[in-house]
Amino acid sequence: MEFQKDNIWIGAEHLTNDSTFVEIAKQEFHHTSVEDTLENMGEFNTNRRDFLKYLGFGISAATLAACEIPLRRAVPYVTKPDSVVPGVANYYASSFVEGGDFNAILVKTREGRPIKIESNTIYGIEGSSARAQASVLSLYDTHRFQSCGKISDGKYTAANWETIDNEIKAKLAGGNVRIVTGSMMSPTAKAVVAEFASKFPNTQVISYDAVSYHGMLEANLKCFGDRVIPGYRFDNANVIVSFDADFLGTWVSPTEFNQQYAKGRRIQNHEEAKMSRHVQVESRMSLTGSNADNRILVKPSEQGAAILALYNAVAALTGGTKVEGASVNEAAAKALAKVAEELVANKGKSLVVSASNNVSEQILINEINSRLENYGSTIDFANANLQHSGSDEKIQSLISEMNGGASNPIIIWGCNPVYDLPNGEQFKAGLAKASLSVSFAAKMDETTAACQYVAPANHVLESWGDAEARKGQITLIQPTIAQIFSTRQAELSLLRWADSSNTNWGAEQPYYEYLKKYWEKNVFIPGKYLSFQTFWDNTLHDGVHGAPSAPVARKCVCDVAQAAAGISKPENVEWEISFYESVNIGDGRYADNPWLQELPDPVMRTVWGNYLSLPIEWNGSNDFRSHNDLKDGDIVEITVNGKSEKVIVIRQFGQMPGTASLAIGFGRTVAGAGKGVGTNVYPMMKSMSANYASLTIGAKVGEDKDFASVQYHHTMGITGKQEGYKDKEDKDGNINLDEKALGPGYFAGALTNRSIIFRTHVSELKTKVEELEEKRAEFAKLNKETLYSGHEDVFTAGPHWKMYVDLNSCTGCAACTVACMSENNVPVVGKKEVHRHHEMTWLRIDRYYYGDITNPNTVYQPMMCQHCENAPCENVCPVNATNHSHDGLNQMTYNRCIGTRYCANNCPFKVRRFNWLDYTTADLFPWNENYKNDENMLTADGQPMYADNLVRMVLNPDVTVRSRGVIEKCSFCVQRIQEGKLTAKRENRVIRDSDVKTACQTACPTGAITFGNGNDPESTVSKLIENPMSYRVLEDINVNPSVVYSMKVNNRSEMA
Amino acid sequence: MSVVISGIREPLVLGNKTYHQITEDICAPTERVPSKAWIIAFVIAACFLGMYLFAVTWTIWMGIGSWNLNRTINWGYDITNFVWWVGIGHAGTLISAILLLFRQKWRTGVNRAAEAMTIFAVICAGQFPIIHMGRVWMAPFIFPYPNTRGPLWPNFNSPLFWDVFAISTYFTVSLLFWYTGLVPDFATVRDRAIGWRKKLYNSLAFGWTGSAKHWQRWEYLSLVLAGISTPLVLSVHTIVSFDFATSVIPGWHTTIFPPYFVAGAIFSGFAMVQTLMLICRRVLNLQDYITLEHIESMNKVILLTGTVVGIAYLTELFISWYSGSLWEGFAFYHRLFGPYWWSYFGMMFCNVLSPQIFWKKSWRRNIELTFLMSIFINIGMWFERYVIIASTLARDFLPSSWSYYSPTWVEICLFLGSQGLFFTCFLIFTRVAPVVAIAEVKSILKAAGNQYAGKNTMPSHHDHSHEEEHDHAHH
Repeated sequence: MEFQKDNIWIGAEHLTNDSTFVEIAKQEFHHTSVEDTLENMGEFNTNRRDFLKYLGFGISAATLAACEIPLRRAVPYVTKPDSVVPGVANYYASSFVEGGDFNAILVKTREGRPIKIESNTIYGIEGSSARAQASVLSLYDTHRFQSCGKISDGKYTAANWETIDNEIKAKLAGGNVRIVTGSMMSPTAKAVVAEFASKFPNTQVISYDAVSYHGMLEANLKCFGDRVIPGYRFDNANVIVSFDADFLGTWVSPTEFNQQYAKGRRIQNHEEAKMSRHVQVESRMSLTGSNADNRILVKPSEQGAAILALYNAVAALTGGTKVEGASVNEAAAKALAKVAEELVANKGKSLVVSASNNVSEQILINEINSRLENYGSTIDFANANLQHSGSDEKIQSLISEMNGGASNPIIIWGCNPVYDLPNGEQFKAGLAKASLSVSFAAKMDETTAACQYVAPANHVLESWGDAEARKGQITLIQPTIAQIFSTRQAELSLLRWADSSNTNWGAEQPYYEYLKKYWEKNVFIPGKYLSFQTFWDNTLHDGVHGAPSAPVARKCVCDVAQAAAGISKPENVEWEISFYESVNIGDGRYADNPWLQELPDPVMRTVWGNYLSLPIEWNGSNDFRSHNDLKDGDIVEITVNGKSEKVIVIRQFGQMPGTASLAIGFGRTVAGAGKGVGTNVYPMMKSMSANYASLTIGAKVGEDKDFASVQYHHTMGITGKQEGYKDKEDKDGNINLDEKALGPGYFAGALTNRSIIFRTHVSELKTKVEELEEKRAEFAKLNKETLYSGHEDVFTAGPHWKMYVDLNSCTGCAACTVACMSENNVPVVGKKEVHRHHEMTWLRIDRYYYGDITNPNTVYQPMMCQHCENAPCENVCPVNATNHSHDGLNQMTYNRCIGTRYCANNCPFKVRRFNWLDYTTADLFPWNENYKNDENMLTADGQPMYADNLVRMVLNPDVTVRSRGVIEKCSFCVQRIQEGKLTAKRENRVIRDSDVKTACQTACPTGAITFGNGNDPESTVSKLIENPMSYRVLEDINVNPSVVYSMKVNNRSEMA
Repeated sequence: MSVVISGIREPLVLGNKTYHQITEDICAPTERVPSKAWIIAFVIAACFLGMYLFAVTWTIWMGIGSWNLNRTINWGYDITNFVWWVGIGHAGTLISAILLLFRQKWRTGVNRAAEAMTIFAVICAGQFPIIHMGRVWMAPFIFPYPNTRGPLWPNFNSPLFWDVFAISTYFTVSLLFWYTGLVPDFATVRDRAIGWRKKLYNSLAFGWTGSAKHWQRWEYLSLVLAGISTPLVLSVHTIVSFDFATSVIPGWHTTIFPPYFVAGAIFSGFAMVQTLMLICRRVLNLQDYITLEHIESMNKVILLTGTVVGIAYLTELFISWYSGSLWEGFAFYHRLFGPYWWSYFGMMFCNVLSPQIFWKKSWRRNIELTFLMSIFINIGMWFERYVIIASTLARDFLPSSWSYYSPTWVEICLFLGSQGLFFTCFLIFTRVAPVVAIAEVKSILKAAGNQYAGKNTMPSHHDHSHEEEHDHAHH
């Protein structure tokens, strides 16, 4: 009864004082033992609360089970390799070799996959090319062959290596093997071919270059007895004359030349300014021409005559004799005479180059340089360039041989002759008659489709190898990832077919051992290193063996009169068209690389295609016009050498009247991403040396509805004559036509007075710098107010990141743009989206023309987020998604962004990019991806590019992939800053300038971009900012950018 | 003629109405089967609403990439529509609040419909800032609520954030004001209704009995709300204008924007009231309540605000030249002569030139002309916002980034569809609520010092109104 109170009971047990009940009631906390619960499991004695629990669990479990969460599997290492630390990048020295392109590189790998290309500065060249930067994406191309295979009627069937090895070996036996390659730079590969040839005695190697240097090589053979391209030193030249050679874009070794060129162009001291002079003789506006001080316009067919004119002028001044020959147009002749004077005045410090593929013209160039005593100073055979060694004659005689009844085995290695020869059709026909045709191509291309077998070679980033791009300096190629597919190095295939006895077939990496053995025998010189192994380890670490040698002077021996007779004859036709190699796509081998396809052409600013450049003129009243009033994006039918093609027009300043130009390398028919992009030019060419032809421009047949150019407004200060207007000096009619074209009336200064570009002539630099200082003092008055006053201490405590861009060094080569895309996972969006101005590039290079309409000059201005101190984007974001870090970064928080795009509107530099659609396939559902209508954006199996796990391997794991609906922009490579900070912290020191280099900075071959701590007065960037030539863009609107530019200086002189 | 109260002023309500007749006239549309015209209009509006819903779904589904905005022009139709609808919403508050405080008794004929218009216009306006977001599902981020992210607050510096409060405050106050006015009228309808309608209106009327205390409190509440609303008339569009005025973009960065936007808003609001009222009075037979006097008064406001707006345009132009600033000068040069010149001249013609015809009295009182002008002004004010938003962005600081913008079908569907939303709401309103404020109109039937004389002088007035109109037209 003790638990009953006042005789109140609440249950039978209570009333009877059941002993168990009393027991339980005594305990304050009663627990049912687990055993009891388990025993009772079978019985259904669930109470209400349990029922609810089970119900709740049941419902939530059922709900969860109903949602299918997509699985992305991550497989951990079973045994972690020593060198791989998750989250820490490894860098390997290697080389980028593709056709005749070469860069000594460092490959950045993360968790075993290459994600970024950096330059290997040990080689002596800082920066790299856009093509090298983009090569990492082609490693992850879904169109690559996944194993060897047989091909019939262009259809590929997978096979196994043993089968095809046996079949090929059987077919090789007894035949006269012909190995068709591009230029070969690898000494070991040459040894491989030699070994192969010893097994198959009649083997011939036919190497050719689609963009041929044959004429130059032959000329050098004649003049100097050496069939090589010499090394050039543009930095040693005070006067540079280039006949159509786009040495900053494509010619011979552009990365190297960019670096040298910028050295001669940079202004060290504005008070005693000195810079080289550069004259470009050409018909189209090339990247190099756009950087030139003066351009002399000659028709493509007049190139020979122009060279001869210069020769005669130089000869006249150096005691030579005049030779007769074709003559160039009068204006050019006059200008060339002046150029000759300058050249002679700078004897030994000048340089004349030509891209001509005509032996006689190249002989004349050699003779000019020889007369100018340039051999040994600006031209140097001791450090000859070995990147190009192809022969036009050999490939042409092979074609005759193939079609002449000889049925030989043909091996195609690293070239695409069916596509990139003017007579590719003949090559194809010959290939059909070959007893055996094997291709080493990594992807299906026009030539491979016509072969019987494909033995796909590794990508260069999966390969061992070496390259001798410069005589005496060999760089190594080492794999940075295991072979992704069942591919095999081409060298190894040859060795296998030759049953090489020098190869250790049992080894895990036979070609590695072969390479090492070759080096031990041929490269290693005991002395500095105790053993070969130490030598090898060191060389592999550095990636480079050998150093440049001292230049030697050489004398040119040639028959000038004979050469003069051999130059091309000027033609008298209404229209001439020139064919040229574009900076991004090359001879067509980069057509499958979406980064390069979407990289705007530096000059035309167009993407995804080749466009017919037509000259532009002033219509005399209010607008620019072109032939037949054609507009950008119009489609016309052109006829060249009897071939008709529909091409898209772009009007181009600087294109000589009566000439047009069109890039090669487009219009691929059997390809991946580049399939059907643009027009194929090769069939229009008569021969490999005929890079021009007469042209008929038909009527407009339509408009390209997806015409994609990232910069429609061309210029800032194109001047010309206009009746009824007087210029500042009260001269008749010479006004800023571009301002006149803006609308009715004439708003003088509407473009030129903008505080975007400050430029001057080198002779006026001192006064202009003073003017700039005055102007900046005026701006400073407007800039007293700050958005964050009272917080100065926050921004001065640590580092303050700043960037300095030297406009005088920047040549517009666009390596930085691709480097930025690669580093920051910037998506490619395709032509249709670029047409809608939806390009995502964080770093673009604005291109502005100024000067005379017929012959303007150009400024390139790399434009990225300016990280303004008073950033207008920050205070308008309603959700604080973009804000300022204490170290001066304008930060973007993707997770917080709701996509109002207010920041992008308020950005004066228009550098903010919005994810209009699901470009990165970050969403779970596929409906809003933009690839639906753009087949060039699809993978081999029809998936959106970024949805493919292979392509996603290229992503930088340190950078968030942005989803649809958020804004993104340049972050000053914040992930690199963070890494630098961590390094400094680990080493227990203050962060240094050199700890952080942005991707654009390391990619830049000209050193135009410098990044660093602006709060450190000793940092390079602070010192550069102190330079009186520096200014900030839009300094008058008080946004106070952290990016500082320098004044653009040219060295133009009046030539007419 | 009814009893003329003043020798100069026209009577506010025509047709010698009795109180009962007023009730009958105004309640009638809610009580009878909808007319054919209403049904046709409703079907069309609903179709447009359907199109709107489709376009919204499409936008959210596909992303903003389904619009033609680009890296340079990040706002186009979306924010143009937003500002346009907000502007239209201004007339309601002005009529109900400011005219109430100024004792403009003519307001009673139009205030109910104008307030309804305000509510629906603000509903339409509020759609656009939401659907223009790239990640609309993250929209709650713009509200300041305690959270586990720090807490992380919105950016109190951002005009877009101010907008959120400006618009929501405006909507709340307008809704309250409108509904407060409706309560006695709902009670009137309730008293006449039977069956389920009686129940419906009973709940809508909040148990209104018409006691003196009710009326007293009602009067007080109206006055208090008018007091709150009055600054809103000025503040809402001022804040909307801050979206542009506080930016750095030439053509946006302008101190004249607040008054200019407010004037423009009232201008466009009255134009929309005209459009709606001219249709309503005809379709719902309210010519006696919404008289030519009303139309003329509103035309006067239109003339005034249109001229204010015109002066603002000219001031902007003058200052852009007088400032000597290259950016300003070019921005306006571009507006006049750039690729969007047509929108600037469209705006000038519709907003500044065409309303000047209202200097002439007979044209002010011409119904067809007024209707035409109201449409003109609606178009012109849309152009104004388009000029400010899209065309200004097209050519800003760096010529390298200049671009052009024209809408996709999705954007056009959103614009037209939002009108479907508006008219669907408005048409339902005309069926459910008394379109003219019964109680308030009754209050002005007798003016101070005058005896109610209507019934005694002229007993029958049916079908009189049309003659009335003709009479006025001949004056």
